[in-house]
Amino acid sequence: MADSAHSTTADTHETGGTRRDFLVIAGNALLGIGAACTAWPLVSSMNPARDVIAAGAPIDVDLSSLKPGQQILVLWRSRPIFIVNRTPAELKKLQEPNDTGLLRDPQSEVEQQPPYAQNWHRSIKPEYLVLVGICTHLGCIPEFTPEPGGTLGPGWPGGYFCPCHGSKYDLSGRVFTGVPAPYNLPVPPHRFVNETTVRIGENPPNVAWEFGSIVQI
Amino acid sequence: MAVSQNKLVQWIEYRLPVFSFLDHELNEYPTPKNLNYWWNFGSLAGIMLTIMILTGIFLAMNYDPNVGDAFQSVERIMREVNYGWLIRYIHMNGASFFFIVVYIHLFRGLYYGSYKAPRELLWMLGVVIVLLMMMTAFMGYVLPWGQMSFWGATVITNLFSAFPVVGKDIVTWLWGGFAVSNPTLNRFYSLHYLLPFVILGVVGLHMMALHQHGSNNPLGIDRKGPQDSVPFHPYYTYKDMFGLSVFLVVFAIFVFYFPNVLGDPQNYIPANPLHTPPEIVPEWYLLPFYAILRAIPNKLLGVCALFASIFILFIVPWLDTSKVRSAYFRPIYKWVFWLLVIDAFALGAVGAHRPEGFWIYIGRIGTFYYFFHFLVLMPLIGWFERPLPLPPSISEAVLKKKQKRGGEGALTGVAATRSKP
Amino acid sequence: MRPHLAMPALLIGAVIAVAALAQPAQLARAQAAEEGAPALPDVSWSFEGPFGTFDRAALQRGFQIYSQVCSTCHSMNLLTYDDLAGPDGLGYTEAEVKAIAAQKQVPTINKEGQPAMRPALPSDHFVPPFPNEKAAGAGFGGTAPPDLSDIIKARDGHERYVYGILTGFREPPKGFHVPSGRYYNLYFPGHVIAMPPPLQDNVVTYSDGTKATLDQEAHDVVTFLTWASDPTMEQRKQTGAKVILFLLAMTGVLYGAKRRVWSDVEH
Repeated sequence: MADSAHSTTADTHETGGTRRDFLVIAGNALLGIGAACTAWPLVSSMNPARDVIAAGAPIDVDLSSLKPGQQILVLWRSRPIFIVNRTPAELKKLQEPNDTGLLRDPQSEVEQQPPYAQNWHRSIKPEYLVLVGICTHLGCIPEFTPEPGGTLGPGWPGGYFCPCHGSKYDLSGRVFTGVPAPYNLPVPPHRFVNETTVRIGENPPNVAWEFGSIVQI
Repeated sequence: MAVSQNKLVQWIEYRLPVFSFLDHELNEYPTPKNLNYWWNFGSLAGIMLTIMILTGIFLAMNYDPNVGDAFQSVERIMREVNYGWLIRYIHMNGASFFFIVVYIHLFRGLYYGSYKAPRELLWMLGVVIVLLMMMTAFMGYVLPWGQMSFWGATVITNLFSAFPVVGKDIVTWLWGGFAVSNPTLNRFYSLHYLLPFVILGVVGLHMMALHQHGSNNPLGIDRKGPQDSVPFHPYYTYKDMFGLSVFLVVFAIFVFYFPNVLGDPQNYIPANPLHTPPEIVPEWYLLPFYAILRAIPNKLLGVCALFASIFILFIVPWLDTSKVRSAYFRPIYKWVFWLLVIDAFALGAVGAHRPEGFWIYIGRIGTFYYFFHFLVLMPLIGWFERPLPLPPSISEAVLKKKQKRGGEGALTGVAATRSKP
Repeated sequence: MRPHLAMPALLIGAVIAVAALAQPAQLARAQAAEEGAPALPDVSWSFEGPFGTFDRAALQRGFQIYSQVCSTCHSMNLLTYDDLAGPDGLGYTEAEVKAIAAQKQVPTINKEGQPAMRPALPSDHFVPPFPNEKAAGAGFGGTAPPDLSDIIKARDGHERYVYGILTGFREPPKGFHVPSGRYYNLYFPGHVIAMPPPLQDNVVTYSDGTKATLDQEAHDVVTFLTWASDPTMEQRKQTGAKVILFLLAMTGVLYGAKRRVWSDVEH
């Protein structure tokens, strides 16, 4: 049309710009938005599906046959969960300054547990410990090694030993200094439905705590 | 046009000349200025291929290629996976729309003589793509492992048993068992994932061949100079994007409101090797070929006709003897072309119906005419037909058309065209 | 025809042609099986049309019919109990769904590793009436009653067909032989069906006080089955409306952009 004096594309781009560009820019913008919106369902489809989330619903574990000093292992959301019934002697040892002095985070200050487990025994009831059994170093499963001494040396107070890179934790999952693991073992949300049944994956009533806020699993 | 002054762009360009490549193939690439909307379907086909590959990759993340799990895993995608229903419906309807687009693209090539010298290889590569698409679509249809998946696979693989001597061995080899079974499903899945990337490769060659001599155009005459062409970008990029947008509206109506209309309800019944459904029908895009297969009352000849109906397209550039490309200037061939289109639809209808009564005759007449068109009409009409006089150049034809329409500003036509360095 | 209309017209034409071609593929079966079959009953549904949604009360009544009547023979293997919960489901709360699931028993292994039964959880699939396909077929002359999860999607005629079957039991016409243990159904291909009439007036008592007529029951259970076949329908239609509106706007703008770009070229 009237623009015929400009005879190259470049010219039109630069000088004829203001006139035609609103529609062109809007068109480009809509194409961009459309492409981005199209990407969303694809990306979203890789998140856990409904059935996967449903399979991660809380589970109930009966503790009536778990004797003091024993551990059972259950699976919740495809993760190993340790449940230990600790003996009074073991509980006493958790509070001894000789041992707690060797811990990296004895007061459980890093958010590796729900608020109701931020105490010296890292649990609701002192004897029953519930942990996600995944080393905070690189994701191996630490071994339950409750007997003091043994192959881990005379100073070993009893706890968890990770076979992959030698990380050590005490019997409430607190990590020792001088090992590669940086944090205490995580405590999942849990509550007691009755005296001997623990429900893993659900907070006690009136507590709102997100499992996802744990610093390192 | 010089590549950007941006230092990073220049650094990359010096080592990997992608920017000058894009500039050359988009900004400088001269395209006839008179392309009509039928020319949109090439880029649309490319976009459909991209959509199919993308959605397919995400479907594959949740699909189980095992006869015990395949059906459930597809239903799980529809019911449990976030937006799984959307991805699956896009992929499922996308197959149909891919074929719609490619068939229109193919018939456009036939009408405007886009297969003629020097674009014979361009055309043949296109036929290779159609062939690969059919194989991919067929194997993809097997994956949900519904009744039509299973029995469609059984019927189509059994076609090969028609070949003498080696037929049975080929079929067993295709199956990897004594019937369509788990090994068959596994290999179909593997190939269904592979073939689209082979198609992508052939599309690359198709584009190379296209850019060698540039697009044909509705007049079918060569570009004589810069006044006949415009750079691909921005002219055809925006025209293609507009066309894409229209296309997506139609596509979205099907995906969101009629997602199962183009499919067969029987495929929502899990495959049952002990029970054949009352009617086995292929997907609509294969119906004309299915009709040709059934039109011939001899198994081997039917299979041969089926393959011939596709392979005949390879030699179309040499069957057409006309000196003129575009049917626009071919008063007789123009009508014969539309007869072929009608024939294709008729064959499609025949493929959808039981071979009974008058459908048998329609099928035979349609099949005969299909081959008659290519083998007899195409060479003959080229010889005796007197084409209309061709315009001297694209720009003059465009100008004349504009004047005839009482067009505005007729004189600016030549002046406004781009003079490319 | 103006050139910018050519493209939409072309596409829509091609798609209609294809849809027309695809439909006979399905209809051929019905026609071939049954020349002169009566037209399926045409009743209205809450889920029809581009803005249709599922009537939640009808869904809950339909689920009641399924649980009390259909589920004695028909499985629904693709559904889980928690599909019933929430606004995308039947509108039940999670506690209600938990109670519904807990009424059923599913196989498990106990502490000693022996087969045992436990109450179903919301994440479990609908418990089938028979332990396996063979057992399902045994009572019915070898052919198991079809799974109902996808039944609406899996039949020509869809909801109208299933509604037709449920309401289509009649006395056979004079001279029409129905073998013993089989029933005459107006809409079933060939008219001879193995399923005894499952519904009749007051086969259930609705908890919401709705009068349980045969038509009402059939309508409710078909609504439920349609939801079961296509639980994402509402999400699909709502998303579709937004997507199409966006695309129409984009089409308009791109048409303008295209005209702008081409405004200085004769073409």
